[in-house]
Amino acid sequence: MLRGLRQPFRTGVLVLVWTWLLALVLAPNLLVIGASFLTRDPGTFLSLPVTLENYRSLLDPLYLEVFLHSLYMGSVTTLVCLVIGYPFAWALSRVAKERQLLLIFLLIVPFWTNSLVRTYALKLLMATNGLINTGLMEMGLIDVPLRMLYTEGAVIVGLVYLLLPFMILPLYSVFDDLRRELLMASHDLGAGRFSTFIHVVVPLTLPGVLAGVMLVLLPAMGLFFVPDILGGSRNLLVGNVIKNQFLDARDWPFGAAAAIMLTLAMALLLFTHRLSQRRLGEEAEV
Amino acid sequence: MKKLAIAGLAAVTLAGCSDQQEEAQVLNLYNWSEYMPQEVLDRFEEEIGIQVVYTTYDSNEAMYARLKLLDDSSQYDLAVPSTYYVNKMRKEDLLMEIDHSQIEGFDNLDPELVDQSFDKDNAYSVPYLWGTTGLAIDSDAVEEGEVTGWADLWDQQYEGQVMLTNDMREVFHVGLRVLGYSGNSTDPEEIEEAYQKLTELMPSVRTFNSDAPRMPYLEGETDIGMIWNGEAFMGKEDMPSLEYIYPEEGVIVWLDSFVIPKNAANPEAAHKFISFVLQPEISALISEDIGYATPNLAARDLLPEEVASNRTSYPTAEDMENAEFQEDVGDEAMQIYNRYWEQLKTGR
Repeated sequence: MLRGLRQPFRTGVLVLVWTWLLALVLAPNLLVIGASFLTRDPGTFLSLPVTLENYRSLLDPLYLEVFLHSLYMGSVTTLVCLVIGYPFAWALSRVAKERQLLLIFLLIVPFWTNSLVRTYALKLLMATNGLINTGLMEMGLIDVPLRMLYTEGAVIVGLVYLLLPFMILPLYSVFDDLRRELLMASHDLGAGRFSTFIHVVVPLTLPGVLAGVMLVLLPAMGLFFVPDILGGSRNLLVGNVIKNQFLDARDWPFGAAAAIMLTLAMALLLFTHRLSQRRLGEEAEV
Repeated sequence: MKKLAIAGLAAVTLAGCSDQQEEAQVLNLYNWSEYMPQEVLDRFEEEIGIQVVYTTYDSNEAMYARLKLLDDSSQYDLAVPSTYYVNKMRKEDLLMEIDHSQIEGFDNLDPELVDQSFDKDNAYSVPYLWGTTGLAIDSDAVEEGEVTGWADLWDQQYEGQVMLTNDMREVFHVGLRVLGYSGNSTDPEEIEEAYQKLTELMPSVRTFNSDAPRMPYLEGETDIGMIWNGEAFMGKEDMPSLEYIYPEEGVIVWLDSFVIPKNAANPEAAHKFISFVLQPEISALISEDIGYATPNLAARDLLPEEVASNRTSYPTAEDMENAEFQEDVGDEAMQIYNRYWEQLKTGR
């Protein structure tokens, strides 16, 4: 009888999930893929004939440069997030359980405010007449205000600020599962702190690191409003190029092709993630 | 991994979203940012009883793409494109004809600004405000007599202090004028030359801004660059050292007009709003508040002396020497501009 009750529920949930995925994930993506093979049309946005031209124009050195610069800023962002997030997540997993919940809650609270608003808040902090500069000048630490806004650094600070929780959460998850006994065993077998870290902690937390890197790197290349606000519309990301193609240049096929390339990069990353996980799994079995 | 799910949820929140509620008597007004005093909207709601849903854009291109895309969805009842976009949108059949029998106060408008080539007999548009794009300096940081023309932006001493509007046509207008060409050039070679000239300026450029071009000056980020005259007017209230300069190569002139998108849900309310703004008292209030020039002659008589004689808002004949009106350059030339614009902003 229990089974009879659970079955419709299960089917219901499955239908819901699949409808969601088909209507809101698959269909829009198919539209984007379709658009990327069409021709730009000033009147109707898209028109025939079918062409590969959009992908060919992506090979233009200009866009390669944007992609590489974007990848560079995304990588720096990811690295900074990792350097801050890793010890943070470790410490988080070591505090008392009730406190952990509170800290995670605090980590998520900023999401209640729109990220655009928070980016503008950062701008107020970093402006030449902003809080940081007036504070430092008041304390007599600097005489001339630092020029922080509208630089590459400002964009990276903005990206790190917005994306750090996405690094911490998966890392916290793996640290939370890390069993204290394994560390003790390593100690008992004569390994020093450093050796334990390299041979035990790092391999066991690697899946969390990879998950964090994926959750940070690709969004970092797409958050177009951060360079717009903090970078003064300079230091552009791939996301800016896509947005400009759709909104300003109205070249939808080309914008679609650029979006597909970014998705493919994501897919490649996921694929290597899976590969490495499988290898890790094999090693563990050995 | 439960926590991964939390991260996923957070990602959804990060994307953010905005909805608009539809109600019976609503006017959906789509306007440039900081281009209409709140008081006018409040008074319209109070006196006419139609609620205004106000949405903003920061470039003609964004407004056009949005209207074109939402052509069928009747999302907006009124928009305010610049002349060259009125022409383009009219030709593409995106606009509804203005029913002049429903418009009151059209005769108040300056005869020089109506019945223009971009829209004969104002069949599709009613002028809202006009203005100029010129030079701004912070006179505390830049010697006042030193900057007289667009070409001075290229001066090495301003490296890292220059602001440009985030407007493709305006930035290229500057490049073209410095070379002695028309700001409405459609010649690919001239455009390329202007692009080459502008690449020399790029190391000096600190930021692009069309959201509120006065802000980088007020925030102390930039000391010299482009600005819209109304922004210079508003900025001076908070920052007396902000000066507006008419460049000797010629200032950029534009006129923005009300248009009603073809599939507007409430054209009646749109007509009522246009009539409301055409009242001399309301037009005067707008010009006084945001510092752009009103095409409404009856309103000009109501302006306080210090506004009417303010050269930033109302240029003299001398200021308008070499001035050039922005015109539609056609889709083909726009493509060329677009391409160079992208190169300009992404190159380093």
